[in-house]
Amino acid sequence: MSVAEAPVTDRAGTDVTRTGWPYWLSGYRTMLAWHLASLRMWLGVLTVVQVLAGVGFVLGFALFFADIPIQAALFVSTGVPVINLVMVGLILGPQLVADQRTSQSYDFIQSLPVPHTASALAWYTVCLIGGLPAVVVSLTVAVLRYDGLPLAIGADVVPAMMLTAFTGTMLGYALAHAISSPMVTRSITQLIVFGIFGATPILFPVSQMPAWLGSLNWWFPFRHMADVIRASLTDLSYPDLAISYVVLAVWAIIAGVLAVRALGRRQ
Amino acid sequence: MTAPTPTDWSFRAEDVTKVYKGGVRANDALTLRIEPGEVYGLLGPNGAGKSTLVKQVIGLLAPTSGSLAIGPHDLVAHPDVARQLCSYLPQAQMPIDSFHLAEAIEITGRIRGGGREAVRRRTDELIEALDLGEWRNTLGAKLSGGAKRLAGFAMATVWPGKLVILDEPTNDVDPLRRRLLWEQVRGLSSFGCAVMLVTHNVLEAEKSVDRLAVIMDGRIVAEGTSSALKSADRGQLRLQVMLTPGVTTPAAPEWVRHPLRVGNNLVSSIDEGDAAHGIAWAVDLMNAGVAEEYALGATTLEDVYIRLTGHTSDDDDASAA
Repeated sequence: MSVAEAPVTDRAGTDVTRTGWPYWLSGYRTMLAWHLASLRMWLGVLTVVQVLAGVGFVLGFALFFADIPIQAALFVSTGVPVINLVMVGLILGPQLVADQRTSQSYDFIQSLPVPHTASALAWYTVCLIGGLPAVVVSLTVAVLRYDGLPLAIGADVVPAMMLTAFTGTMLGYALAHAISSPMVTRSITQLIVFGIFGATPILFPVSQMPAWLGSLNWWFPFRHMADVIRASLTDLSYPDLAISYVVLAVWAIIAGVLAVRALGRRQ
Repeated sequence: MTAPTPTDWSFRAEDVTKVYKGGVRANDALTLRIEPGEVYGLLGPNGAGKSTLVKQVIGLLAPTSGSLAIGPHDLVAHPDVARQLCSYLPQAQMPIDSFHLAEAIEITGRIRGGGREAVRRRTDELIEALDLGEWRNTLGAKLSGGAKRLAGFAMATVWPGKLVILDEPTNDVDPLRRRLLWEQVRGLSSFGCAVMLVTHNVLEAEKSVDRLAVIMDGRIVAEGTSSALKSADRGQLRLQVMLTPGVTTPAAPEWVRHPLRVGNNLVSSIDEGDAAHGIAWAVDLMNAGVAEEYALGATTLEDVYIRLTGHTSDDDDASAA
């Protein structure tokens, strides 16, 4: 009988510390179960809200035009998945952590013995589960609404979406755990929402923006998220696609490292 | 510090000092040791530094100086190991609104490293022992405060670490189940767990701990068994005068020691030889309409606590009269 299987009464005197991959995997699995159970009442609602938001964008933008040009429809329809993928991790995640701090349950969750990387990846998995159904529904509605929408989904949709969701989730995670004031966290997430919708070329081409804002966006991840996802869903050509992947990967790494460090930070 | 032998699974804090940014010295050279199987009470008013110590033990805060260890493991250098070796019941309620009661306990046991079957058995055992069966499949959001507290206790102890930290475990719990909870605390000590009981409920601590420390302003001001702490007050009596609501606190004669007013209660201690004077003084106060009744009895740990901290255990707003 392993230590883990032994009745709790038989463990006195033995060293119960765990290390290595089994510890990591068990931490990932059990923390995922914890998150899914703790969001039980919300994950369904959340998915519906995400679907409604995605479908709202896909259908709503057509109302700006008497007859929406197909390229415009394509831009909006392939920008919505970015929003669906980052919304849970970047906006909702930090607000959940802010709530934990307000209700003082944050310390208990932090005291659970789970490796920080396993904890972060479990949360990333939850964010994927919360975002992907909305991506599928939004794209399906787009195809049904816009006759002849030139979607061309390639295998690169997998890395594009995984990387996009990862970067968004880890940025949110780092923010959530690095800032101890719930009020500040909530304010920053509001700011990010405005930034994403108003100042990043996700739902429209960067050429529509003032040149300086377009250049500024090159340094931030959102434009590149839109580019890699749009490239994976359409035949549009992106000569700088490799660079977009690189920039996004750099953001993903920085955000991941910041997230894990913020999680383990002791004052 | 002498190097521990591999079998020394005691919890050891040595000269732990924590100075927050801004200069507040929340812990000042705290040194204490909790043996496996020992229930150790950490008593002190709010702000005494109890939570600061706990947060350093479980790796949420880093000490400014000093060491924390369990067995061969340095908890300050390895907070990840600290989280494995310590289970923690915080004072705040557990975040289990969306969990079924049994599920919350089981998932926590699995996170803490227990195997599926062993954790299930232990969960059943705790639900039975704490008399939580009727709420087994109830969502946390629908549990009463007391049931939720007991669920939290079960979560903290389903797969206990070498050190189990319980912060005010009996808050909101009814008297009957309190007794069941204390039996489980005793059970933990029979598993060989060291138990750190953080509380300001002195009377409850007196009944349930093996040893205790009183913390005040970040320092341990007294440590020992309950009887050892009380022995310093041998030959003393507790005089409690219930004042008439609204009166100003009457001046106490100089032989009345450590008078402390909490609400309308004036608590103090006097020498056994002054018993007759004490009664006469209390009766005078009653005749003058300042007091309504009085009680004279043996000193308790509560009186020791009042002497050491200037607080009673159930009122942190108390002021020395």
